[in-house]
Amino acid sequence: MTTESQSLTTAPVQHDPLENYGHDRRGGISNPILGMLLFITSEVMFFAGLFAAYFNTRASADIWPPADFADTLKVWPSLVLPATILLIISSFTCQIAVWSIRKGDRVRFIRAMSITVVLGIAFLVMQATDYYLLGHETPPLTLSSGTFGTTYYTLTGFHGAHVFGGVIMLSVVLYRGMSGQFSAKHHDAVEAASLYWHFVDVVWILLFTILYIIPGKG
Amino acid sequence: MHLLRHPRNAALLGLIFVAIGLIYLIVPNVLGVNDVNGDVNYLDVAAGATMLLALGVAMALMAYVLAVGTREE
Repeated sequence: MTTESQSLTTAPVQHDPLENYGHDRRGGISNPILGMLLFITSEVMFFAGLFAAYFNTRASADIWPPADFADTLKVWPSLVLPATILLIISSFTCQIAVWSIRKGDRVRFIRAMSITVVLGIAFLVMQATDYYLLGHETPPLTLSSGTFGTTYYTLTGFHGAHVFGGVIMLSVVLYRGMSGQFSAKHHDAVEAASLYWHFVDVVWILLFTILYIIPGKG
Repeated sequence: MHLLRHPRNAALLGLIFVAIGLIYLIVPNVLGVNDVNGDVNYLDVAAGATMLLALGVAMALMAYVLAVGTREE
């Protein structure tokens, strides 16, 4: 055995402490995205609780919606359908913004993100207008209109609060983007905010289906 | 690499809860357990099924996050 081969066999081998655990060495995810995923996980269960409460209330009622509000929640004519369409479009524009910044196209990123913020604000304005109109129906649908009014405003109100939070988040991202803080390599905040926005969009599609599409009973 | 260490496969763990949720939703109705008055209403068990389905999504996200790790590890 030569001296060289001896030194090769006796030299201390540097073991990767994670190699036996099959650790993913392809990069992992950044802390902002990790935090956002954990936050979304908790939000999934938060909304699950609200949905479950709605289903429980609905299952215990003999007639749903109550006779007084049988025709109150309509898909058309009302503002809810256009608001839904705007929110779905905003998810696409948000994703276009993400794809743009991944390629380093800041102009397209700012344009797409601006449209997303405007669409988010439009959704909130339409929801507020819808609340106003529902409150002036005969009979008015308010928070105190029994379990129907309570569950309706709790579900849609909490979602609206999340949209409001999302608009603030996207506005901050837009401001930072306009300040030139994002590039093709560094844009974790954009990815994290877009994940949240898609989540809010999916929750609304479920809400819309449950409140407006699934037929009542009784 | 162990099969479940791949983030995408780890996320599939959530399907277990989704499957249990679907069983919870469908089986009682198929067996007629809820058929007290001759009415079968899937929405009667939707509250529990909703929680299980959402738990599946939450578990999938958690499994993905745990498997993929962070860059700073």
